[in-house]
Amino acid sequence: MTVAVDTTPAERVLAATTACLGRWGLAKTTLDDIAREAGVSRATVYRLFPGGKETVVRTAIEAEVDAFRLGLADRLGACTTREDVLVTALTYATRCLRGHELLQYLLAHEPEVVLPHLTFDRFDRVLAVAGQAVAPWLEPRVGEWLTRVVLSYALCPSEWFDLGDVDDARRFVREFVLQEGAR
Amino acid sequence: MRARILEATYVCIAREGLDRTTVEDAAREAGVSRATLYRWFPGGRDELLRETIAWQTDQFFLRLAGEVQGSASLDEVLATALRLAHRWIAEDAVLQRLVATEPGRLVPAIADETRRLVPRIARFVAPWLPPGSEARAEYVARIAVSLIGSPGGWDLDDPAQVEELVATLF
Repeated sequence: MTVAVDTTPAERVLAATTACLGRWGLAKTTLDDIAREAGVSRATVYRLFPGGKETVVRTAIEAEVDAFRLGLADRLGACTTREDVLVTALTYATRCLRGHELLQYLLAHEPEVVLPHLTFDRFDRVLAVAGQAVAPWLEPRVGEWLTRVVLSYALCPSEWFDLGDVDDARRFVREFVLQEGAR
Repeated sequence: MRARILEATYVCIAREGLDRTTVEDAAREAGVSRATLYRWFPGGRDELLRETIAWQTDQFFLRLAGEVQGSASLDEVLATALRLAHRWIAEDAVLQRLVATEPGRLVPAIADETRRLVPRIARFVAPWLPPGSEARAEYVARIAVSLIGSPGGWDLDDPAQVEELVATLF
C-alpha cells in the first residue's frame, strides 16, 4: 500500500481497513491488522472510531460508496444527452463493481456478507443510495432500473452484453430503453 | 418413487431446516430404506437437497405455464408471473423457514439459482416476443429475477402496482 503524506490518521485507518478486508475478508480481519496496516496504535483506532471493528468497517464501506457516488457524478456531469448519461452510468458502475477488489473478494469468499444486502428488504437501502447518486440527472425509477441491470449483468455475466463496454452499453440502451420516452 | 422421496425431503427441510435435514430423516419420512434412497440419489445428501429445490422450481414453472396459457401479451405474462412467484415465495414453507432461520444459507443459494433461472425464464417468455429476440428475452428474465428476489418498494401482491411495474421497469 502506498501512503500519501498528506492523509489524516482517520483516512489512513479507513484505507487500511479496505486493504485488510480485501486481503483477509470480514471475519478474519482484526483491529490489530488494521492498526498495523495504517501504522497507528490500536488505541488510536479506537479513539478515531469508537465502537471498534464494526464502526471502522461500516465507515470504510460508506467511504467506498461515497467515492463511487462522486466518481459517477463527475462522469454524468460531463454528459450532454440522456443516452450518454445512461450509457455512462451503466459502464462506470459495471467497471467499478468488477474492479473493486474488496467487493470481489467478499463475493468469492464471504458471499453471505454481501448478498443479503442485495436481497429482500435490505435492497431498499441500495436502491435509495443509487437513486440519490443519479438524482440530478435521472428519475428515481431509472436509478432503480440501472441498479437492477448493473447488478444482474455484473454478478452473472451475459453472452449478449458486456455492460462494462461502451459500445455494448450503447447498444443495450438503444435496444431496451429510450424507445418509448418513458424512461 | 423419485417424486415421493423429493416430496418427503421437502417436508423435512420445512420442519428441520436445510442444515439439519439428513438422508435418514428423508428416508424415514418417505417410508423407504436408506439403500433405496441412495439408489435414486447416489450423490447422497447434497444431491438430494439440490434435487429437491430443483424439483420445487419445476413445479412452480409447471403451474406458471398453466396460468399464463392464452395470455395475449408479454406484459400480461410478466404480471402473472411476478404475482405468482411472489405468492409462491410467501407461502412456501421451506423458503419461509430458511428466510427466518438460515438466511446465510439461503441467499448464496438464490445467487446460484439466479444463474439457472435466467435462461429458463428467457425460454419461458420467448414465445411472446418476436422471433430472434433472444437478447431481449434474457434481459426481461433478468429484470424479473431481480424483482422477485428483491422487490424493493414494490408490493407484488397489488395488481395495480404490478401493472405499473411491468409498464415502466422492463
